[in-house]
Amino acid sequence: MTLTVKEELIKRSPLRILEKSISGGLGKGNIGVLASRKGVGKTACLVHIAADKLLQDKPIIHVSFASRVDHIITWYEDIFKEIAKKPKMKSALDTFDELIRKRVIMNFKQDGARTEQVLRSLEAMIVHANFRAETVIVDGLDFTQAGPEDLRKFKDFAGRLGLEVWFSASLKKDDPLFDGQGIPFELIGYLGVVDVIISLKHHGDHVHFSLVKDHDRLTPKDLRLKLDPTTLLIAKDIRARAR
Amino acid sequence: MSTDIARMRNIGISAHIDSGKTTLTERVLFYCKKIHKIHEVKGKDGVGATMDSMDLERERGITITSATTNVEWADHSINIIDTPGHVDFTIEVERSLRVLDSAILVLCSVGGVQSQTITVDRQLRRYNVPFIAFVNKLDRVGANPFKVREQIADKLGHNAVLMQVPIGLESAFRGLIDLVTMKALYFDGPEGEDIRVEEIPAELAAEAAEKREEMLDAVSMHSEALMEAILEGRPTEDLVRAAVRRGVVARKLVPVFVGSAYRNKGIQPLLDAVVHYLPNPSEVENRAIDLDQDGADRVLTDDTSAKTVALAFKLEDGAYGQLTYIRIYQGSLRKGDELVNTRSGQKIKVGRLVRMHADAMAEIQEAGSGDIVALFGVECASGDTFCSPGLNLAMTAIYVPEPVISLAIEPVDKNAADRMAKALHRFTKEDPTFRTHVDPESNETIIQGMGELHLDVYIERMKREYRAEVKTGMPQVAYREAISQKVDFDYTHKKQTGGSGQYARVIGRLEPLAKGAYEFSNEVKGGRIPREFIPSCEKGFKAVMKKGQLIGFPVIGVRVVLTDGQDHPVDSSDIAFQTAAQGAFRQVYAMAKPQILEPVMKVSVEGPTEFAGSVFATISQRRGTIVSSVEDGTYSRVDAEVPLSEMFGYSMVLRSLTQGKAEFTMEFLKYGRVPPYIAELLAEQHLEKKKKESQK
Repeated sequence: MTLTVKEELIKRSPLRILEKSISGGLGKGNIGVLASRKGVGKTACLVHIAADKLLQDKPIIHVSFASRVDHIITWYEDIFKEIAKKPKMKSALDTFDELIRKRVIMNFKQDGARTEQVLRSLEAMIVHANFRAETVIVDGLDFTQAGPEDLRKFKDFAGRLGLEVWFSASLKKDDPLFDGQGIPFELIGYLGVVDVIISLKHHGDHVHFSLVKDHDRLTPKDLRLKLDPTTLLIAKDIRARAR
Repeated sequence: MSTDIARMRNIGISAHIDSGKTTLTERVLFYCKKIHKIHEVKGKDGVGATMDSMDLERERGITITSATTNVEWADHSINIIDTPGHVDFTIEVERSLRVLDSAILVLCSVGGVQSQTITVDRQLRRYNVPFIAFVNKLDRVGANPFKVREQIADKLGHNAVLMQVPIGLESAFRGLIDLVTMKALYFDGPEGEDIRVEEIPAELAAEAAEKREEMLDAVSMHSEALMEAILEGRPTEDLVRAAVRRGVVARKLVPVFVGSAYRNKGIQPLLDAVVHYLPNPSEVENRAIDLDQDGADRVLTDDTSAKTVALAFKLEDGAYGQLTYIRIYQGSLRKGDELVNTRSGQKIKVGRLVRMHADAMAEIQEAGSGDIVALFGVECASGDTFCSPGLNLAMTAIYVPEPVISLAIEPVDKNAADRMAKALHRFTKEDPTFRTHVDPESNETIIQGMGELHLDVYIERMKREYRAEVKTGMPQVAYREAISQKVDFDYTHKKQTGGSGQYARVIGRLEPLAKGAYEFSNEVKGGRIPREFIPSCEKGFKAVMKKGQLIGFPVIGVRVVLTDGQDHPVDSSDIAFQTAAQGAFRQVYAMAKPQILEPVMKVSVEGPTEFAGSVFATISQRRGTIVSSVEDGTYSRVDAEVPLSEMFGYSMVLRSLTQGKAEFTMEFLKYGRVPPYIAELLAEQHLEKKKKESQK
């Protein structure tokens, strides 16, 4: 059987490498965190993860704490434009409007939004509005304000509604950021509630990814992925393989 | 009355519904001594605010038509247009923006930047209109002008800077501190007409100093002289004002003023700001299209002795007869002048020339460039340009959207029928988004417009102003049909019934067109179709596309490529090729996989966060897509895309669901494909209707 262009794209996505490395994916009821300093590329990665789900016709909810939503909408447009640049993908992405129908952006003001309120609104969207998302990405939650107990609430919620939830965590403390195992000092208190932690670091001219917590395992591992500096897409890191 | 162009301002007052814009306008008229008593919107005295001149507007507490009015303040002549707030009437807003030089953006100190503020801001941007902001309702519970300023900066992306600091807020709101003069202002007297200037209260001195610092920081970017003066510690009021003005005119700075129109506080300083900071007509560049030079751009001059160029931007049929509002862009207008309507070529003579104040007017002898006046007894349509003989210019055409909804109306009796016809004739001239026609099949009169409320208002006006009682049918969405696949055609039209026959053959293809309604491309070589019959073919295609075969709605998104054909030396004719084109289209239309498209609206619902969940549900029940939801503390907004056909009666549903605490706005966004199960239903209904009609 031959694959359609879209299926081919999904199959070859570098995100399959990520999934394979974390035992087949984050999994329902689980919490994943992308951690780095500000401005390294967490939002780009989260949007790529979301775009990958959308390509597979899976609805997603994008929770953000930014002051404007139009920036986020632009992120998606840009990422789909980049994907469309791949050979033969142009026609397959004529359905951009259709893909976007499966995405809802929910924006909260950081200072006013308590975890309970965010979860209440998420539940209203998923249950009352019947928007059956399986993946929620939460960008920009302030981990210095929200504690492990907040993440616990998210995890319970994710378990109840069968969701996988990806967070971004901005590391704000002074260097060193990571302990000997590569775990961010700021996230050590969260190890009990977070299932997957991936850290992003500048490595020469590009950003690369290391897996520091994979469900029950705590052995750091190079993911052989990088963030392409021009497209801001996650890509295979060929140099890593050569190493 | 000053006719000096430097002392002239043409301003609009734009805002979200319920920001208190009409109340503000009312106060402006009062302080400028145009009216002698303040009436409230929906007031108890049964009179209503002066600017809402139509009964209907008074009753509903909304402003529909934008009456223009002239006031004087500090020896300046200010023309104000009170623009409607509801999105259904944006054509009026857009038209006034075309005519005005600057605006006051009114925001509610509790609601801040709301969905419609964003729409209005986009319009101001499109027409490059400089503006100042006024944060109203400081007496309301939850008032926070500082937050609103932040929102103007964050959400609208403007360099917003507070020019005043309130003294007290909510019920304790007493006055304000002017950060330019560093004085406290209080508004005494029963209607706030006496301004008391005092020193800044000690407890606010530090805050005022800090805010002034911020203001000077932002403002000094627009003037080196001011920057130097600040470094030397001597910034004068004049230097500050000049710098603010420069920033505003360049649209690089938005000074923010505060107050409460309802409590009569802060209005006079706002009028001062209009005079100080908003541009006069000569500071705004206006362009026209030269119809003699193939539409070349022409920059107009504000010279009053130049040949006249003026735009009729609004018609009104009021108590005084037919009135045409006109903005003069170049030259001047005098009683007895002769002008040419460049659209129709018709010549007119300027009769009575008046300056309007909502419901009253003053006769004048002449008006110069930059001014807005009204003419009596001129036959024209909105958007027509008038020039002195010898000039053939058109002011840039104002973008007119296609109507998205229609309604069948039927007069109750013969008298009503005559009056209805008169009313419809008037409305279509006043409002280019309101259209009417008689359906040839059902013989019903159909009116078309931009939304349910838009049509409702005209039905009401027919009843009130023309005493024309009509029965209405169900609102009907303006569907479209479009092909989704390329298809070839080869069709011969042949008729031989004695006398001269008919013969025409057309060969080519239909292609889906992503953007635009229709394209025709002639690729016929070697005169296989004689050149004189090519337009006949095009005419045929155009005619057949007016009614699609699926549900009888216009077909859009088609590119017709004509590649070959055949004629007959005797039997070919214009009509034969038209018929062949129609036949060809009908024959292959089904093979081009036609689809039904429906208007999809951009819908914004705003209200207390507690109702967000219910609002999500109403959207999804209506086949809507939620694009985003924004929660800001207790207040939230949901932006969605919803098919228009599902939005009928939504205001009632929303009102009962949220106890009237949420409101929504909508505007046309795009045409989207109808899901198959609904397409089937529509096709069935169409068949049934056709069957009924054939039985008649």
